[in-house]
Amino acid sequence: MQIFEYNGSALVAMVGKNCFAIASDRRLGVQLQTIATDFQKIYKIHGRLFIGLAGLATDAQTLYQRLIFRHKLYQLREERDMKPETFASLVSAILYEKRFGPYFCQPVIAGLGKDDKPFICTMDSIGAKELAEDFVVGGTASESLYGACESMYKPDMKPEELFETISQALLSSVDRDCLSGWGGHVIVVTPDDITERTLKGRMD
Amino acid sequence: MAKAAVDVPPKGGFSFDLCRRNEMLVKKGAELPKFRKTGTTIVGLVFKDGVILGADTRATEGPIVCDKNCEKIHYMAPNIYCCGAGTAADTEAVTDMVSSQLALHRYATGRESRVITALTLLKSHLFSYQGHVSAALVLGGVDVTGPHLHTIYPHGSTDTLPFATMGSGSLAAMAMFESRYKEGMTREEGIKLVCDAICSGIFNDLGSGSNVDVCVITKDGKDYLRNHQLPNPRTYVSTRGYSFTKGQTEVLSTKITPMKEKVEIIEGDAMEE
Amino acid sequence: MDLNLTAPHSMGTTIIGVTYKDGVVLGADSRTSTGMYVANRASDKITQLTDNVYLCRSGSAADSQVVSDYVRYYLHQHTIQLGQPATVKVTANLIRLLSYQNKNMLETGLIVGGWDQYGGGQIYSVPLGGTIVEQPFAIGGSGSSYLYGFFDQAWKKDLTEEAAEDLVKKAVSLAIARDGASGGVVRTVIINKDGVKRRFFPGDALPLWHEELEPCNSLLDLLPEPMST
Repeated sequence: MQIFEYNGSALVAMVGKNCFAIASDRRLGVQLQTIATDFQKIYKIHGRLFIGLAGLATDAQTLYQRLIFRHKLYQLREERDMKPETFASLVSAILYEKRFGPYFCQPVIAGLGKDDKPFICTMDSIGAKELAEDFVVGGTASESLYGACESMYKPDMKPEELFETISQALLSSVDRDCLSGWGGHVIVVTPDDITERTLKGRMD
Repeated sequence: MAKAAVDVPPKGGFSFDLCRRNEMLVKKGAELPKFRKTGTTIVGLVFKDGVILGADTRATEGPIVCDKNCEKIHYMAPNIYCCGAGTAADTEAVTDMVSSQLALHRYATGRESRVITALTLLKSHLFSYQGHVSAALVLGGVDVTGPHLHTIYPHGSTDTLPFATMGSGSLAAMAMFESRYKEGMTREEGIKLVCDAICSGIFNDLGSGSNVDVCVITKDGKDYLRNHQLPNPRTYVSTRGYSFTKGQTEVLSTKITPMKEKVEIIEGDAMEE
Repeated sequence: MDLNLTAPHSMGTTIIGVTYKDGVVLGADSRTSTGMYVANRASDKITQLTDNVYLCRSGSAADSQVVSDYVRYYLHQHTIQLGQPATVKVTANLIRLLSYQNKNMLETGLIVGGWDQYGGGQIYSVPLGGTIVEQPFAIGGSGSSYLYGFFDQAWKKDLTEEAAEDLVKKAVSLAIARDGASGGVVRTVIINKDGVKRRFFPGDALPLWHEELEPCNSLLDLLPEPMST
């Protein structure tokens, strides 16, 4: 068994015009047994920056706590929020520190940077950054997500269309992955507001 | 020494505290995740006025292509660049670390960095980890002593060569170099040969693919030609794409949080009243 | 085909050191391989340590480079403190010290050769475990097993410089012909009281031995002329 397959997850982030969306499935399982169907995999760092953590849930939560802690220290010292690029480097450094005993986590980071420029990025479990201009995926459903996003993504989408596209990409991908699914969780962030939606999906 | 009450940010170095747990998980039958690799073709050659480096742009995770256009030519110093193959996190971390050491060294000495300094820093780091930090590098640059090209292996050994290849596509690329490299090539000839070597990696090695990045370094400066050639354009994209009309996805709940208004603080006013 | 490209970079080598009347001659091939792949066909395995002492390296490339880098650094300090060139014996003992203290980590066999005013030309062999042996001639690396008999027969005391260099060149080319892990060119270094001479003999300028073929650009040239129709 691949360690990522222990809990199961699907994560995706997409860039639109001056906005971004990040989406995850809602299942928490222990191998083939489902434990929860309302599990949070996307975490808020601040209003314009989100991180999704795929992989082993115990590590995801530990890592999330460390990231929040480091971000709070940063806020206290600098009196401002972290830029997405800075935050990505922080995550990368924290993961690479455990190069020889890693957290089994694949982060997907999405945020709005300077001048409302969207930023998305993913990493492997030891912090090798991959910056993308279109979409990034992660988790056990990543293979089908690659395919779905590759054909559904269009550049410069408006928030409404971005939501539909990312949702369809997510739902169609998790239907081909036993270890993720049970609806979805989508966050669309524009310079003006954050829209969180839960999606109806197959419950099998 | 007592353990600090809070987990303060570490000063550097690796942390091994999850190793035992991970070992236990492996013993229980868990398989460790694959790391992102750059199963790569990277090359470099010395030409008349300096050094040319080249790389493909594919990053892989096992058999999956996870980045179709990644950057494998890393910045070391204004006059030194370095191509990386192997585990992506390692090449990235080791080049970043050495480039910051070089920057500090430049501030301390007020002189341009030398390629041999970068080489020594890289090899001593890699040697001390005995090949576990798996970065295979082609280091090139021009300094006061002229143009230099080196290869560095994960175990910390180095070679100095007029032309070099590394990564899984190194055999294909080396075939091009061995048949066509001459001493004292011009810039155009050099770029052409580097591109052909990378292309032979892209087309003959499964671990390499997508585009060709080139970096030309001379004593007058560098010329980073990102995506110099695009031999594999997308052919399957439909012009209209898929369009989903609003409301096609079934939504269970919606929560809209407006962003906080940015509070404009006018000098002196905010604290009054 | 498993080329084993991830294997450590190693030098399955032929290295030789020979004393002659006035000094020493060192010799080496130029092949460096990773598994089955020749990673460098023109490497220099004879490394300078000081003005008058050189080192032939075999085994793991990384290990031997690190040992030679450390010894070079120590000798620079030693030369300054002493105010005169380091002797070959001191150099060889420094190498032995590193090889012996780190014998669990290192996988390298070395041959030190040089000239100093006290001992004249000397060759020291420092094989795998960190032993030190002074020898009139020393051979090392994977190609050396083909050369023991040859040296027992061909080496004489007080050779001339030309004869010694010819012997080294001949020996390395013999080993290149029989040992798959040795190849490329022959490099020699001659050290005596007048200084150092470095020479290099390309592969196509070496003598041909039993059943070896003349160098040619294409194997097709060896085929008989096609029949005219």
